[in-house]
Amino acid sequence: MRDPIAKRIPREIKSDIGKQLVIFLFFVLIISAASGYFIAGDSLINSYNESFEKYNVEDGNFELFEKADDAAVKDIEKDGGITLYENFYKQEDTKGFESKLRIFGERDEINRVCLLSGDMPSADDEIAIDRLYAKNHDLKKGSRIKLDGKQLTVSGMVAFSDYSTLYENASDLMFDNDKFGVGVMTDDGFENLRDSHLHYVYSWKYDKKPADDAKAKEASEQLVKDISKHAVLTDFIPAYTNQAIRFAGDDMTDDMAGMQAFIYITIVILAFITAITTDNTMIEESGVIGTLRASGYTRGELLRHYLAVPLITLTAAAIVGNVIGYTVMEKYMAMAYLGSYSLTSYEVRFNPDALIKTTIVPFAIMFVINLVTIWNKLRFSPLNFLRRDLSRRKKKKSFRLNTKMPIMTRFRLRIIFQNLPNYITIIAGSFLANFILMFGMIFKPMLLSFQDTISDNMLCSYIYIMKAPAETSSDSAEKGYLTNLETTYEQYKHEQVSIYGIEKDSRYVNIPHDGSGVYLSTAYRDKYDLDEGGSITLKEKFTDKEYTFKISGFYDYPATIAVFMDAETFEETFDEDSRLQIYLSNKELTDIDDKLIASRISETDLTKTSRQLMRSMSSIMNVFMVFGIIMFVIVVYLLAKIIIERNARSISMTKILGYTEREISGLYVHSTTFVAVLSIICTIPLANKILETVFKKIFMDYSGYFAYIVPVSTLIATCIIGIVSYLAVSLLLNAKVRRVDLAEALKNVE
Amino acid sequence: MFLEIKNVKKSFGEGESRQEVLKGIDLEVNKGEICVLLGPSGSGKSTLLNIIGGIDTADEGYISINGEKTADMNEKALTRYRRRHLGYIFQQYNLIPNLNIKENVEVGAYLSDSPLDVDDLLKTLGLYEHRHKLPNQLSGGQQQRTAIGRAIVKNPDILLCDEPTGALDYKTSKDILKLIAEVNEKYGSTVIMVTHNDAIKLMADRVVKLRDGVIRHNTVNEQKTAAADLEW
Repeated sequence: MRDPIAKRIPREIKSDIGKQLVIFLFFVLIISAASGYFIAGDSLINSYNESFEKYNVEDGNFELFEKADDAAVKDIEKDGGITLYENFYKQEDTKGFESKLRIFGERDEINRVCLLSGDMPSADDEIAIDRLYAKNHDLKKGSRIKLDGKQLTVSGMVAFSDYSTLYENASDLMFDNDKFGVGVMTDDGFENLRDSHLHYVYSWKYDKKPADDAKAKEASEQLVKDISKHAVLTDFIPAYTNQAIRFAGDDMTDDMAGMQAFIYITIVILAFITAITTDNTMIEESGVIGTLRASGYTRGELLRHYLAVPLITLTAAAIVGNVIGYTVMEKYMAMAYLGSYSLTSYEVRFNPDALIKTTIVPFAIMFVINLVTIWNKLRFSPLNFLRRDLSRRKKKKSFRLNTKMPIMTRFRLRIIFQNLPNYITIIAGSFLANFILMFGMIFKPMLLSFQDTISDNMLCSYIYIMKAPAETSSDSAEKGYLTNLETTYEQYKHEQVSIYGIEKDSRYVNIPHDGSGVYLSTAYRDKYDLDEGGSITLKEKFTDKEYTFKISGFYDYPATIAVFMDAETFEETFDEDSRLQIYLSNKELTDIDDKLIASRISETDLTKTSRQLMRSMSSIMNVFMVFGIIMFVIVVYLLAKIIIERNARSISMTKILGYTEREISGLYVHSTTFVAVLSIICTIPLANKILETVFKKIFMDYSGYFAYIVPVSTLIATCIIGIVSYLAVSLLLNAKVRRVDLAEALKNVE
Repeated sequence: MFLEIKNVKKSFGEGESRQEVLKGIDLEVNKGEICVLLGPSGSGKSTLLNIIGGIDTADEGYISINGEKTADMNEKALTRYRRRHLGYIFQQYNLIPNLNIKENVEVGAYLSDSPLDVDDLLKTLGLYEHRHKLPNQLSGGQQQRTAIGRAIVKNPDILLCDEPTGALDYKTSKDILKLIAEVNEKYGSTVIMVTHNDAIKLMADRVVKLRDGVIRHNTVNEQKTAAADLEW
């Protein structure tokens, strides 16, 4: 005969349909989002990984000062055990909108291009451009763009296999698919563009590919030496350090791990909520359980019965969530990546791993937490259940509270202590929810604040870096020196440091000229926690030559990792070959030949990190904010509701005694208010500190510096949003208290 | 008249399942009286007590205490009425499980502007040494004493007792009845007590017997017996 108590299960769900629906929908929300995310991420990562072979992505590239002759190419190939491919490009500023476009000729052998829509260029005045860059500038097939005075027609949208992330330079902190793009032309079309901005870049493929990144590092270190024997290197980027190739793959992989941790933490909190709910139901039904146990029902039978509802809810949510994940959410999640990265075409593929992560593991978490809770309760004897005697602490006296405290205060404290598991779960849940909310809240103000700080602390409006010495008649221009070195920290990735040599009595950089030491940018200090009086050791990029400098102080410059020293010391320290002439200026310099300018750094360049982050992350941050609020409301409401249900008899009795609604809410809702508001207030500085640490850690892996600056107003706004969300919950809780019937206290306890 | 119950009618259910539980109750109780409501299950005595206590409403008729009619009162006024005039004692005690004994009594004291001294009362009730214990650490009798303490600490005009000894053994029941009689005498509270136990009528000033929602007997007991001498 079928277990007759199983017939209760649908009725039980129906009788508490509101709560079950909330839990179900929240599960659906999480599972569908996670499932869509994993499927999209896995499909994109898979296509990204396959692209290396499919499009023959390079093992690295280097730039030479001038074109290598055939003999040099052969020697480099022989010495390095590599095959070289010309991958020359020309970079031009666009007319009509501010950006730089890097143009390549046909790429048939190395770093092949994936056509996403339209056609590859067939005429000399046609160009196929990166999909994302085109989208950001509203360029379509047939659009016209002006480069180097020539009108070009966009023939199609492409993805470059070696520019899945649009980094202009390897040393950039962040990619910028708005101000920087890539395009491909026919070889003749490419030839027709002027040569003044031609870069002699060679890509290489190892004849015998290194087994891993460590081996690739060894090989590339040797390769630098080999190339330097035959040509003058100006840049050298092995693929394993090339952000343009690696960043998207690394980011998507890291995000997957983050999402996995997030879904598991959320499921654990929900599992605790359902376990507490079931525990409460068992207390209410203790007489029934006692009777059934006394009649011969086993613990196992009752365990299965009480496990059924939470597991059925999760299973149903998992089915619906996965269907939504595959059909709807996958597209949205993929769009989030395709809005940031220039990925080659991909196909959605069934992902058993996503099913395990979104269904099997959550099911196991729910099963274990509920099993332990229910089994722990079922260890009481039938008599204990019949007597509603289900506390293991009954023999102890109640702990003392200072009787000088008003009875209402003590009453509230007792409620908090009585419902400690609920409140601990509320604290944990609201911490997570507030953390998510805060993550969503701080992002935009943090970026704007960082942008403002950079703008307010520019050295000057423009820094011109010259290829060769040049003169200008501009009264705003001030000469200086620049060279680039690398950090030598063992534990961090080596990154580029700009060393500036500053003229005496500079209008732009005010440092003492006493030769006592160097001044570090505040970005350098903050990133590596450096102190005045200490020292730094830097090395040349392509040699082992090291330089050690004493830190005399810091210069307020948050934009880049830079070192300032007086020009005399600079001249003494660096030989002429490694010195680059620069001009610091507040005005554009128009009288210098373009061919002599290696690059020009303006505010736009320095703020591109924050702009790119804002562009690619803003919409996802809004999702975080909404999700944080929903999660907070659900966690607090469900758990506080249980507290009210558990105390229904006491609430009823206080009503009978003559307590007013306000006084009763003051007891049973304000206890929750106290805990919820306190956890909001405590969470915010704590979350702020954790986020600061996390951000700092994340950005240690990046070149450059990103200051974590959150305005106090944002922290206050986060706090207010949390409290307002709670007020909405408290209205529901007050209504719940009002609905407790006076007759509750008159019911005979079974 | 202190407590006046006039033509109170109450029914439950609708249509064919409608059941008239009180069919027009008229009753008057003087201040300071102990009034025992007797009757079999379903006679309507607990329903009547709940209507007096303002936790249920009459379909018709009214309850008046010192001229204040409960029928005219809204939810807030009923709360004030209970707060000012009533103390409640239940068969199941209904103590607040997470408060200790003293705090449970203080919950009652909080409602009054001039409550009795809680520690003195606990001593009177023989609970002082147990004041830091939780309700589930005490016997049924001790819990009921606590409930009585909570009811009388605010010095109510009327003490409503719904089967106060229903869950207790013979000896403890007699102790509780003795205590109720002492409270009546010492504080002058009017006591309305619902019980199945016919023997309890002997300690009452007034005995009201209900059957099928109607008062069958309403007698004044001229020869009260002390609670300690009750036998059943």
